[in-house]
Amino acid sequence: MKLLMLEVKDLNVAYGNVQVLWDVSLNVAEGEIVVLLGANGAGKTTLLNAITGLVRPLGGNVSFLGRDITGLPPNEIVEHGIAYLPEGGRLFPDMSVQENLEMGSYLKNNWKIRKNRLEYVYNVFPRLKERRKQLAKTLSGGERQMLAMGRCLMSNPKMGFFDELSYGLAPKLVKEAFAMLKSLRDLGLTIFLIEQNANQSLEIADRAYVLENGRIVNSGTANELLHSDHIRKAYLGL
Amino acid sequence: MISFINVLVNGLLLGGIYAITAMGLSLQYGVARILNIAHGEFIMVGAFLTFVLHTKLGINPLFGLAVAGPVLFVVGYLIQRILFKTLKDRTPTPAAFEGSSMLMAFGILFVVQSIAIFIWGTNVQGYSYLAYSVYLGDIRFSVNRLVILVISVLICLLFYLFLTRTRTGKAIRAASQDPDAAGLMGVNINRMLALCFAFGAMMAGFAGMLISMVFPIYTTMGMQYTIIAIIVVVLGGLGSIPGSMIGGFLLGIFSAIVSAKDPGLTMAAYYLLFLVLLLVKPSGIFGR
Repeated sequence: MKLLMLEVKDLNVAYGNVQVLWDVSLNVAEGEIVVLLGANGAGKTTLLNAITGLVRPLGGNVSFLGRDITGLPPNEIVEHGIAYLPEGGRLFPDMSVQENLEMGSYLKNNWKIRKNRLEYVYNVFPRLKERRKQLAKTLSGGERQMLAMGRCLMSNPKMGFFDELSYGLAPKLVKEAFAMLKSLRDLGLTIFLIEQNANQSLEIADRAYVLENGRIVNSGTANELLHSDHIRKAYLGL
Repeated sequence: MISFINVLVNGLLLGGIYAITAMGLSLQYGVARILNIAHGEFIMVGAFLTFVLHTKLGINPLFGLAVAGPVLFVVGYLIQRILFKTLKDRTPTPAAFEGSSMLMAFGILFVVQSIAIFIWGTNVQGYSYLAYSVYLGDIRFSVNRLVILVISVLICLLFYLFLTRTRTGKAIRAASQDPDAAGLMGVNINRMLALCFAFGAMMAGFAGMLISMVFPIYTTMGMQYTIIAIIVVVLGGLGSIPGSMIGGFLLGIFSAIVSAKDPGLTMAAYYLLFLVLLLVKPSGIFGR
């Protein structure tokens, strides 16, 4: 039995009077790639926001490596070894590539070893080293994706959360992005990603959950879901 | 030619003060999202602190830097933590906060000004320090203005280095560009907001101290400097710290040129420039 990394139990989230998530439960074990599939507006981003502290849940709890992290502010969540790559990367546009990476090592303990982390990230993404003095806003779409991933690695996280990696990327870059994700897992990162692109994400994932209208409606291994009628109709267009 | 150089130099001297004033406002608006209408009142307090220390206790005005700056830093930090933070927690959206925080700043303006009038009255005050001239070739400089230029350039430089080289400085810039993303990096946003407001107040303290060395001071002087700071911030680009520095010097030179023609036209020229800017390039010279 693998070590349980993330456990979400009966999570309920609302924005004002509008409830978005109902009794969402899921878990991720160490070394897994787990994907959460769902259409636009299903509540996928809200779930990530609730786990990473940007939104406070109404009820339920989130535990990470056995510790309760429900409702902690984002800056404390990071300290537990969680990195979150929000949709679109959310880079700091007027800071250089290197400064963006350094921000990934902002926590005190990481800041001391940021030179080592930089070296490590530049090794994984040599392209970033070439561009290290450029402002983030001048990068191409693919380079931005690399930078966002690199920034996540700077905090030496145990687990990474990725929101719509494929969003706004050309098909070729989507392939590359998923390939990068797979190599991050091989480097020891546990991965939870949310996607509309079921086809490609199920190809690299171990397991998947399906979120519809704020509820988990289906789950299983990636292989099982690839062959389930529901998924084939609703998400794969087959 | 000589008179032109003289005007230019005068403009630079004035520009240093403007740059510091505007940097303070820019920090508060760019990061903490507070359009601090009471900025000029903090400047006035800095000026009077320096004035009182110098005239009552005989303390060198330059030492006022070490008093006015830190005192206002602490005051700014507390004001953000006690007033604006509470307001922010109760305001549903960031846009609503920008409006209500400006109203709160208006309140602070009147409270600070009234207390200042109660303590120091409404008379125009001033003191004379290093108020003699030196000649460099044919150009005449007053020493206190030169000292001010050197100090303000130093402050700008040090603060720029702080923002670009240190961990906290980088966090401030990151928070100004994307507060949520900065939070995901582990930056404690609430602490950054308080820090930025405090640094802004500290800049006001520095500016007040410098102003007291060369200009008459009075308890209702604040509004004039708030307006100048707003013009410079718009000129340099909202939220851009280097923009505020360079914008300050540009406005200083502009003002020196106008007042060489007729000092009475300076304020009118400021507003005209402000209006033209808003129409032609509202994002400012270095605006995003």
